[in-house]
Amino acid sequence: MDSIRVRNLHKSFVYYRKEAGLKNSLKNLFARKSLVKEAVKSVSFDIGLGECVGFLGPNGAGKTTTLKMLSGILYPTSGEADVFGYVPWERKNEFKRLFSIVMGQKNQLWWDLPASESIYLNKCIYDVDDDLYRRSLAELSEMLDVQELLNVQVRRLSLGERMKMELIAALIHRPRLLYLDEPTIGLDFPSQKKVREFLKYYNEQFGATILLTSHYMKDVEDLCKRTIIINEGSLAYDGPFHKINHLFGEQKIIKLQFSEPVAEQQLVRFGRIISGDDYHAVLEVPMYHLKEVSRAMLDVFPIIDWTIEDVSIEESISLLYRKESAV
Amino acid sequence: MFHTMRIARKYMTLYGIFIKNCLIAQMEFRGNFIMSLLVESVYLLAKLLYVLVVFRTDLHVNGIPPEGLLLFIGMHTVATGMYVGLFFTNFMKIPEYIKDGSLDLMLTKPVSLQFMASLRYVDLALPIPDIVVGFVMISIGWNAMDIPLTFLHFAGFVLLLVVSIVITYCLMIIPALLSFWFVQTGSLFEMAHSVWDANNFPMAIYPAWIRRIGTFVVPLFLITNFGPMFLLGQLSWLYAAMALIGSLLLFVAIRLLWKQAVKGYSSASS
Repeated sequence: MDSIRVRNLHKSFVYYRKEAGLKNSLKNLFARKSLVKEAVKSVSFDIGLGECVGFLGPNGAGKTTTLKMLSGILYPTSGEADVFGYVPWERKNEFKRLFSIVMGQKNQLWWDLPASESIYLNKCIYDVDDDLYRRSLAELSEMLDVQELLNVQVRRLSLGERMKMELIAALIHRPRLLYLDEPTIGLDFPSQKKVREFLKYYNEQFGATILLTSHYMKDVEDLCKRTIIINEGSLAYDGPFHKINHLFGEQKIIKLQFSEPVAEQQLVRFGRIISGDDYHAVLEVPMYHLKEVSRAMLDVFPIIDWTIEDVSIEESISLLYRKESAV
Repeated sequence: MFHTMRIARKYMTLYGIFIKNCLIAQMEFRGNFIMSLLVESVYLLAKLLYVLVVFRTDLHVNGIPPEGLLLFIGMHTVATGMYVGLFFTNFMKIPEYIKDGSLDLMLTKPVSLQFMASLRYVDLALPIPDIVVGFVMISIGWNAMDIPLTFLHFAGFVLLLVVSIVITYCLMIIPALLSFWFVQTGSLFEMAHSVWDANNFPMAIYPAWIRRIGTFVVPLFLITNFGPMFLLGQLSWLYAAMALIGSLLLFVAIRLLWKQAVKGYSSASS
């Protein structure tokens, strides 16, 4: 059974462009040329009950806009969506009780109050009965290890602690669907790990459906078996996470630093040049050539430092997108 | 019926929590709490200078002596207190919610967005001087004009006070509502506040056409005038009933306008 069904979802925004300078501002005051940005273009997918899906894509790809439409914050320009039998943008209260949205860059907690006050407010907003409230609060705060911090003012908490409180506030009514928009943004590694473990637990324990957007590959890798990649508003990939890894696992990035200038033409035969100048170079090299290419370069060039890395998520996505458009 | 009562109880509980939370937050900053009291007291002092002038010059407006005018000035002071205490902070924040996208999270809550966005903050320090001094002025005027303190007078006055609070909400939220379309509406707030200050005297001081506009088109005069006019026996039952029905209709109109505005909400980039 599907919990989310999306068909040809489309969202365009009207905006104005203004060139720099006062003269152009004056011009703009009288005549504005409106432009249309297609934020989401005909996106379709289904998400099963209890599934945890990663939503990846570079900045401005349309991930957040899609989440906002699926949570009823935005009306789409066209297309259909069915979320647990509801049309999200009809904004029915019964629908709102089913889900929660957590945005890493926006908070719902009252800044000057202890988090417990905001959580209690949510209890009243969602009509959670006292017994369930007490149990949920104890369970969630224990899982996230923040029992001692519930009565500390939010503004005195660290970023990681605040995000944990945001999660408790969002989950106090036990939503069956969870939208997470960059939940680990800005967090240090241990906090990211804790949040990921917690989300995994919530997904397994309560069978909640999770749709997660993130810039961190690790978030998606740990939590989601399935990944949807969106780029420039269109769906670029929908499939198992490990398959993307496989697609790009065959490429490696070599970063080089030279003691003397090296011309670009000399490097071309070793791999695709991503960036560089006389003293630095970043090359993309096929995995199966890595050994011989490395050996040859060490022999030929005055290398003083070098690293071998995986292809970054942004690079993978743009590569994938280029592939998709080429088909 | 039972369902409606349950919803009403829920909203009252939530409003109670809003007030409690604001009180806790404001008490965190004692300095600011006291400064707010001081600032509003200074404003009030400036207003009291009018009262002094009225009494010194023995000003009569439409046959109403200075003691009777105290009822109008007192009513205006109480209404100002209600406005700054219950609505001002919220209405100023609505354009911010729209600009920075904070409205997003409020939109996902299973309660009225208008309730959440326009009544969430209650300022408990700012209105104290206005409300206390305003009611003192009304009491002095009430006593000096030999108005009997019957249940009918008291209930009628309280009802018209509620009407004036509803109308204040409806009129003063308009600049905030327009920010859904125009984002920045600071100048409209300025205008609304200037017009507000022009309302602290009986409307009889204005020409007939302004009185008509201020009563039937933009019912600003109802806020300050109808309560005192009722006490002075200058308000017919017809007008009192019209004020009551008018304020409800105005509220319905604002509710519809709000819904229309939210429909076009485009959120902010994250």
